[in-house]
Amino acid sequence: MSATAVDQMYSIAEQVFSAMVDGDVGPLQPWIGEVPAIVDPIVGWVDTHGGWTGRAAMTTSRPVAYDLTRALLRMDAHEEVGMEDLVDAYGELVNVVGGNFKALLPASGTLGLPSVANCLPEVVWAVPMEGLDLAWRGHLIIVSIWMFG
Amino acid sequence: MKALVIDDSRTMRRIVGALLEPLGFEVHQAGDGQEALDLLDDGLEVDLACIDWNMPVMDGIEFVTRVRSNPDRRQITLMMVTTESETRQIVRALAAGAHEYLIKPFTPESIRDKLELLGLLGSEEPA
Repeated sequence: MSATAVDQMYSIAEQVFSAMVDGDVGPLQPWIGEVPAIVDPIVGWVDTHGGWTGRAAMTTSRPVAYDLTRALLRMDAHEEVGMEDLVDAYGELVNVVGGNFKALLPASGTLGLPSVANCLPEVVWAVPMEGLDLAWRGHLIIVSIWMFG
Repeated sequence: MKALVIDDSRTMRRIVGALLEPLGFEVHQAGDGQEALDLLDDGLEVDLACIDWNMPVMDGIEFVTRVRSNPDRRQITLMMVTTESETRQIVRALAAGAHEYLIKPFTPESIRDKLELLGLLGSEEPA
């Protein structure tokens, strides 16, 4: 993907977070500076099949994933979030981000259902295509696109 | 007015439901197309169905096709609410019988605009 495509990815992520999470474009920004390793990660991904086969994934730390869930579900900051709600909410966020990325791909594919886990399942023939480092309320979120060779 | 929100994501069902209720809709939910058909078969009558595309068991296009093939269900307005944004997908959904197409993410204003376009926001809407 070109730099233009990365800009488009950022624009899509900003649009999704603005509409679904924050109601405003401010809280999501490009990550500035060195990217630290994510401790206690949660990763969500959605695959496309057919004309273009690959994966869009979004990784962040577990506490941030809980905060995203609270924001999506319009819950109070200290309200308890169950794992089932986290998987559903984070998965849907990844689904909307990944589904909109699909429009940027060189060939159309069929979107699968989103999954959420502690780590991204390894696909030996997967080639990283693009990455986007984001800061949501100052916390790191890494978005990546993989092509299955 | 009654609405049926069909989406495998509980989060999305809550979001759509929370937008429809202040507009005067009594909101019902289903987790996939088959569950939605079962509710209709059990006698639920709705004016509007908001339908996700990609769902397990029965997807949104299959649900639209099934509803459209039943003359008794012609009163239901079918609106796809999905991340599928490619033109060919939109054309496919409309050809299957969907009346409107709303791409996720959407804003409260965009869902309201679609419902106005469909003539589903009437005098019953609260101020």
